[in-house]
Amino acid sequence: MRVLCCLDGTNAESMRKAAAMLTTTDPVTFGILYVIDTGPRREMEHTRERFLRPHHPPPREHRIREAEQGSSRDILEEGRHFFQNTEALQREGRPEREIVNVAAEWQADLVMVCPRAEYGAKPILGPKSVGHVARFVLDHAPCPVLLVRPIVRDQFPLPR
Amino acid sequence: MGTLITSIIGILTLIGIMTRPFRWNEAAIAMGGAILMLALGRITPADAAVTLLRDWNTFFFFLGMMTLSALAETAGLFDWLAVQAARLAGKSAALLFLNVFLLGSLISMFLSNDATALILTPVVYVLVTKLRLPVLPFLFACTFIADTASFLLPISNPINIIILSRFPLDLMTFLRLLFLPSLTVIGLNIIIFFFLYRRELKGHFEIQRLPSKEEAIKHRAYFNYTCAVVILVAVAYVLASATQFPLSSVAIGGAVLLLIGARFCNQITLLETGKRISWSIFGFIAGMFIIVRAIEDTGLTATFGHWLLQISGGTSLGAVLVGTIGSAIGTNLINNVPMAVVMTSALGAIQHAPEPIRHGFLASTMFGCDLGPNLTTVGSLATVLWLLILRQRGVDVSGLDYFKVGVVVTPIMLLAGAAVIWLLLR
Repeated sequence: MRVLCCLDGTNAESMRKAAAMLTTTDPVTFGILYVIDTGPRREMEHTRERFLRPHHPPPREHRIREAEQGSSRDILEEGRHFFQNTEALQREGRPEREIVNVAAEWQADLVMVCPRAEYGAKPILGPKSVGHVARFVLDHAPCPVLLVRPIVRDQFPLPR
Repeated sequence: MGTLITSIIGILTLIGIMTRPFRWNEAAIAMGGAILMLALGRITPADAAVTLLRDWNTFFFFLGMMTLSALAETAGLFDWLAVQAARLAGKSAALLFLNVFLLGSLISMFLSNDATALILTPVVYVLVTKLRLPVLPFLFACTFIADTASFLLPISNPINIIILSRFPLDLMTFLRLLFLPSLTVIGLNIIIFFFLYRRELKGHFEIQRLPSKEEAIKHRAYFNYTCAVVILVAVAYVLASATQFPLSSVAIGGAVLLLIGARFCNQITLLETGKRISWSIFGFIAGMFIIVRAIEDTGLTATFGHWLLQISGGTSLGAVLVGTIGSAIGTNLINNVPMAVVMTSALGAIQHAPEPIRHGFLASTMFGCDLGPNLTTVGSLATVLWLLILRQRGVDVSGLDYFKVGVVVTPIMLLAGAAVIWLLLR
């Protein structure tokens, strides 16, 4: 593996510590996190307010909870296949804030995050390629963040 | 002096609905205004009673429509339709998105926008959550199409019933004026949304994650019975619209049939059905009817109507633009029910205008009141402002995502639809 460290005259020490993490022989504990985004539910509630019925009837509410929990369980279960010795963490709320808070509470040394969910589209590089969740995490995380971008070699060099 | 008191109560009620101080319920505010009008003698109890009785068709239509939707939901009809839409999409997220639009249009057309916005939306949410597709585009599709497809037929939106109860239009005239604009804005809505969410819709979903049909249907006999009743009601709606038969009778008739079936199959009790109905909406409408009736006596709504006619320049283009833009703005300020009631009263002043202008005002008022809520979707401008204030204070809120999409998409649809209505009037 080849790792590029970009120095700016002030960050050599930080870079060395981060590089040491990558080359450590100590056992690594992985935590896999999935956040149930509560934003869409609140969007639905706001729409219902217009019709003077702010809450879903109980059977529908139950189905919504069931779908969210079921999907979350499956995603975390899938994650366990890829990471050995993991601790599965599930939260509800705004994903960007939950990720940052969990990183602090769980005392993570490194957060790994992808730029955005791709849903089958080809990953893009360039402006707006980093979604709002990853951007928030980059801005607020209490530890180094590894932004997992695809390896793309064919669009380079960029105009200098 | 009397006019001044009536106007002050009317304006305060509308401001109350617009701003919802202390998050008061709109229905309580409207009822409070109506009680004040009665207490101060601005309208006699007899007049108020006559006003409410005159609009029995509207009240019963709301009741029938909400009951029908709630019972059809109990049967699993919406869940089953959503699963069918996914199966027909053949694993493609883009095709499922299109199918959600088409399904939403169909449900709005025959069961009203209420059913699409309140019942189909959470059904689709559950479906796309299970399929691991991006949730927001699908939610927005449901919420928007609920209103975009709500003037395909008179019963597609209760607002149409409020307006048509006062100004009856035969079905052919309604369709001539609003069917093509409806198809135009539905098409535009689909195209713009496909463009906005083109990246999110490129993927596929795994068919094995799709819930089975049996999961949607809890009681096969009741489900089949519900399908038959809903089809019967859809046909009856069209026939009733064509013959000017009260549409509330069809809605109530269908609801009673479903209720009998539900009780026979032990699916839901009367009490549970009652809990699914928004009773406060009746207070909201009743309050608004009484307030506007009291204001009518002062001649203010007639003056407002004459003013609308004046700024339209007496042309059909002016009528369509004033009706569309005025109703759309008003519906975002004070919710579409009060706006429709106010406009219905004001339009009394244009009854003797030439037919193209009269029809222009009527069609564009329904169009503006029906489609206008898509601008803010979250209820009203007041809600948007409230959300903005909370966000500025750093409080964790959502609800603004709809607004961002609405302000881009809705003006385009309003102008395009208005242009088609105007062309059809010529």
